[in-house]
Amino acid sequence: MAIFGIAIGVAAVIGLGLLAEGLPSSTQSALTEGAADFSVIAKTSNTDGPNGQGGPVGSFGGQELINQTKIGEIQQISGVGSAVGVLRTMTNLDNTTSTTTNSSSPGGDNFRSMTTLIGIDSNSISMNDIVITNGSVYSNEANEIIIGKSAAERSNKTIGDTISISNQTFKVVGIYETGNFQDDGGIVMSLDKLQNLTNNTGKVSLILVKASNGTNSGKLATAIQEQYPDELTTSTSLSGMDRMNQGLDVINTAVWAISLVAILVGGIIVVITMLKAVSERTREIGVLRAIGWTRQRIIKMIIGESILLSLIAIVVGLIAGIGIVEILGSTGMIPGLMPSFSVSLFVKGIGVALLLGIIGGIYPAYRASRLEPTEALRYE
Amino acid sequence: MSDGNIIEIKDLTKSFDGGNITALDGINLEIKEGEFVSIMGPSGSGKSTLLNMIGALDKADSGQIKVAGIDLMQSEDFSKFRLNKIGFVFQLHNLIPNMTVHENVQIPLIETDVTDEEMIERSAELLNSVNLGNRLDQLPTKLSGGERQRVAIARALVNHPSIILADEPTGALDSRMGDIILNLLREIHQKENVTLVLVTHEDYVANSADRVINMMDGKIVT
Repeated sequence: MAIFGIAIGVAAVIGLGLLAEGLPSSTQSALTEGAADFSVIAKTSNTDGPNGQGGPVGSFGGQELINQTKIGEIQQISGVGSAVGVLRTMTNLDNTTSTTTNSSSPGGDNFRSMTTLIGIDSNSISMNDIVITNGSVYSNEANEIIIGKSAAERSNKTIGDTISISNQTFKVVGIYETGNFQDDGGIVMSLDKLQNLTNNTGKVSLILVKASNGTNSGKLATAIQEQYPDELTTSTSLSGMDRMNQGLDVINTAVWAISLVAILVGGIIVVITMLKAVSERTREIGVLRAIGWTRQRIIKMIIGESILLSLIAIVVGLIAGIGIVEILGSTGMIPGLMPSFSVSLFVKGIGVALLLGIIGGIYPAYRASRLEPTEALRYE
Repeated sequence: MSDGNIIEIKDLTKSFDGGNITALDGINLEIKEGEFVSIMGPSGSGKSTLLNMIGALDKADSGQIKVAGIDLMQSEDFSKFRLNKIGFVFQLHNLIPNMTVHENVQIPLIETDVTDEEMIERSAELLNSVNLGNRLDQLPTKLSGGERQRVAIARALVNHPSIILADEPTGALDSRMGDIILNLLREIHQKENVTLVLVTHEDYVANSADRVINMMDGKIVT
C-alpha cells in the first residue's frame, strides 16, 4: 500500500515531467512545423547587379547571391536542425509561351505582371511554407513545376498544362499555397533547374534555417551572424519568431509550475502514506520501544523505511509513469504532444523521489518516536 | 538496593484521566533479586500498571521506585534501562509479523555492541532451548499461539535481563499450552536465577510463584 502510494507520486512526477518537458518542443514543432525559423541572406547588396544576376531569366533586385557551400557550413552549426538553399528571382513571363488544357484560355500571355520564380529542392518545399493543395510535387530532375494558387487563377493554368520559361518547357504538376501573396503568385521548381535557367550554378539567394527542437531560434540567428559578420545576415519573414520565443518562455514557466504541483502531490502522498504506515504499526512501535529501542532508533527506522519504499516506488513509478505516457501517446489521447525522455528528467525524478522519501518520512518518524510504549501497546 | 532487593517501591501513586481514575494508590513493595513473584487481582486492580512502572514503560505521579539500582522517578528516557535490565513477555506475544522467528528474537540486540555472529548464535541457542530450533526461518503467522509465546520468551531473554516482566503470558493460551509456558518460565527463572514478576488473574498460575501479591483498587491487599 505504501509503495503503491509513493509510486503514484513518483509516476506523477515522472509522467507529468515527461509531458511537461516535451511541451516546449511539441509546441515549437506545432508552431513551426516544417517551416523555417529564419533566412540567411548576403549582407552586402549591389544595386548594379552582382555576379550571376540578370541571366537569361530573372532579376534579383540587387540582392547578392550566396555561395551554395555555405549551406553545408551552416548545417554544421550547433542548434541548426536543417538548412536549405533557395534561389528566388522575379521575371516577366509575358513573353513566355505556354499551352493549356483549358480551351477557354488558349495562348500564353496570361502572366501580365512580374512573377516570382522559386528554386528549391522538392523534398524541402515545406521549409518555404509551401503546401501542395492539388496534384503532386515536382521532380528535381524532370522539367516540372508547381504553380501558386493565385498565379494559377490569374493565368488560368492547371495541372497538366505546360509553361515555357527561357525556351524550356515545364509541365505543371501541382498547385500550391503559402499564405504569402507574393509567393502564391509564383512558380516553384527544382533549385538546379532555376540555377541553370539563370546561369547561377552553385548560387542561392538565401538559406532557410530551421532550429533544432528546444533551440532558441533568435539566439541561433545571432550565432550565425556572429560567425559570418562580414558576409551574412539573418532575417525572418516569420514576424512571430520573437512572439514564439516569448511563448516558449511562458511554456517553460508552466512546465516548472506543473512539475512543482507534481512534486507537491508526490510529497503529500508520501507523508500521508508513511503516516498511515506508522499508524498501522503503532503496536509494533510500542513493542520496539518496550524492548529498549530508543526514540532515535525509531526515527532512523521510519526514515530508512521511507527511503527504501521510495526506492522501490521509484522503479514502480518510473515504469508506471513512462507506461502511462506511452499508452496515452499511442492511443492518440494527447495528439501532438511528444514526451521528452532526457537523462536530466530521470535524475531529477529519482532525486525528487528520494528527497520526498526523506522529507516525507521525517514527520511520521517524529510522530512514531513520540509514541508512549504503554499507549502504543494498548493500540488495537 | 538494600537487603538484596532488586525492586524497591515506596508510596507509589498513579492516576489517569486527569486524576479521575486512580490506578495505583500508595504501593509499597520490595522484591528480592532472583525471586519469582506473581501479582494477582481482578481487571482494573492496577496490576498491569504496576508492572509497567517496574519496566519503566510509564511514569508514576509520586512516590519512589528503584529497579536494579536505577531511580525511575528521574525524568529521562529509560530505553537503555529496558534494553539492558528488562525482558518483557506480553499476553499477545507482540511479535513483528513480517520478520522471521530468528529475526524477532534478535531485535533487542540490533545496534548494540553485540556482533552479528553472536546475535545469530544467541538467538539460535535460545530458540533451541524453547524447542523452536527447527522453526528459525518461519514467520510468526505460521506458528501456533504457544509457539509464538515461546518466541516472545526467547526474545525477552536474548539481552540477558536481570528481570523478566510477564503480563498475563498464559492469558491467550489453552490450559495445556499455558502449562507449557509457565513451566518454561519457571525453568528459566531457576536456571538463569533471573527475577521473574508475573501478572495474572489465574490462581494456578499465581500459586506457582515464590510469593503471591494480591491487588485491589490500586492497593496491595495481601
